[in-house]
Amino acid sequence: MRSNPSPSSSSRFEGCTLTGALSVATEVRDAVCVIHGPAGCTHHNFSLLHATNLSNDRGDLPRLLSSHLLENDIIFGGEDALETALEQALALSPASIFVLSTCIVETIGDDVAAVCTKDRGVPVIPIPTAGFLGGVFETGVRNALSAVASLARPSSEKSISANLIGEKNLEYGVDENAAEVNRLLKRLGLPVNLRFVRGIMTRDVSRLGAAAVNILREPALRVVGEELKRRYGTPYIKSFPIGLGGTCRFLEEVGRVCGIDSLTAVEEERAYQTAMLERFDDLAGKRVCFQSPHPMLRGDPEVEAICAECADALGLIIDPDGVAIPSPYPPPVGTAGVGRMLNRWRVLIRERGR
Amino acid sequence: MKQIALYGKGGIGKSTTAANLSAALAEDGLDILQIGCDPKHDSTRMLVHGTWIPTVLDLIRERGDTNITVEDVVYRGFGGVRCVEAGGPEPGIGCAGRGIIATFQLLERLDALKGDVIVYDVLGDVVCGGFAMPMREGYAREIYLVTSGELMSIYAANNIARAIARLSRRARSRCSLGGVICNAKNIEGERELVEEFARRINSRMIAYIPRSRIVQVAELQKQTVIEYAPESEQAGVYRDLARLVYGNDMTSIPTPMEMDEIESFALEFVQV
Repeated sequence: MRSNPSPSSSSRFEGCTLTGALSVATEVRDAVCVIHGPAGCTHHNFSLLHATNLSNDRGDLPRLLSSHLLENDIIFGGEDALETALEQALALSPASIFVLSTCIVETIGDDVAAVCTKDRGVPVIPIPTAGFLGGVFETGVRNALSAVASLARPSSEKSISANLIGEKNLEYGVDENAAEVNRLLKRLGLPVNLRFVRGIMTRDVSRLGAAAVNILREPALRVVGEELKRRYGTPYIKSFPIGLGGTCRFLEEVGRVCGIDSLTAVEEERAYQTAMLERFDDLAGKRVCFQSPHPMLRGDPEVEAICAECADALGLIIDPDGVAIPSPYPPPVGTAGVGRMLNRWRVLIRERGR
Repeated sequence: MKQIALYGKGGIGKSTTAANLSAALAEDGLDILQIGCDPKHDSTRMLVHGTWIPTVLDLIRERGDTNITVEDVVYRGFGGVRCVEAGGPEPGIGCAGRGIIATFQLLERLDALKGDVIVYDVLGDVVCGGFAMPMREGYAREIYLVTSGELMSIYAANNIARAIARLSRRARSRCSLGGVICNAKNIEGERELVEEFARRINSRMIAYIPRSRIVQVAELQKQTVIEYAPESEQAGVYRDLARLVYGNDMTSIPTPMEMDEIESFALEFVQV
């Protein structure tokens, strides 16, 4: 292995389909995830999920089981090993079981879906997650959201509420971002119906179709939004609110979709933003230069617009020789997200000033 | 030690040819190991009077791969030919190609790959890397393509020539094409067609085995022709083949034909 891999060969932004799917499925807390493949696929993901949980002050262990495939299972077929793993999973009395495939079992053609159709008293749901088929982390997230959604039945009863769809469970600010969206929805009188999927139980999924609107975490989840719209008739907003103006437009859009007058909510939010920006008035007149946070990331016009918007609001001067500020990745969610971003800007500007 | 492999389209008569070749070589007092590399595991059957010997992969499946000895997998057949069947998973599940790789690794660990001649009898198409295993470094050095004059059989032989050409580009590869064996179906102009095919892929037809009823009769008696009808003309054909192959030191890197080339080649020979 090279000690200093170049950014272009680090595959930092692709990821494994299996990991993406597990970041969703393990958030159904009373489910067990069976990973059909060699033990290493489970070990790596267990470590990653466990470490992420710990950094979010959660000590519980992700409920993963491996079918522990070895060479002979590959030669003779791994379906029996999957049966055994499912029995072990059932012994843990889960409310549901997700079965995730790996590269090798898709290569040899194990019929995971067929093994899952056997009645075992709890839902056993396959999620296709073989990474070598060209999918990335996000593919796994989408496949898992769609699989978890299959636990819900079509619902005609709607309540004035919203679902959060596809939160980034591995991002550091996942709960802060959800709290921010919750705060904004409250301005419109909309409670959150379901965090789909974060910290929920199998039975909670039945509420999936009951919301008046689905709020997608990011536009990449549009295909999930469309699927839920088809199944439950729920309209969707394509992204969490991004940036100052974006946050106000988010309120307007949710209001429009739900038939709620958003005028007052937007006015109150603008005042709240003005108060937030006043905390940063010491930054006026400072020279800054925005840079990509990583050489692998191309400039994102939306993110650049947010940086420009904030620089304008604070009276910052954009100058190639100014303090280098990495543009945010992922972009800040809501007014609170912008506030946290500006705190980081201030630290960078002060460090440079010393 | 001479290590040869027979490849060709399914049903073309590879196993019959291999078994008679092994039997004829054994008659000359040589120590022969024949390894069937086909999940159907019927390569060596005529050498052991129709019994189904346990396959390496059956044993691995039943006992795991640590409790297997040479005596468990190698069976003496006609003339002392040592017979091994790789076997495979149940049809429609698992990975037979990986099974071939596991079989070879086990045979190597058991130090079973020895003798004067090792004959690898490999299933029809080189469907994946596993079935090219016998062509890899340390195994078969000479490949013989078994084909009739039927086009489908020529296509398959051409594909295998492609695999040989590909593998021979590897740095330490020692596998090359020993020749083409025509196992005739009694088609008009068959000998000429196969000879020309062999020439075009930079090889030669090393033997022509005429179609003979005695082959089927011997098979019904669950024996090779060498054993069942040692005085027959066909037995003589197989003995000639055995001596030609054993003494052959002319091999080549094949130049497989392109699809359109093979089609126009066919048109030249097929009477319309």
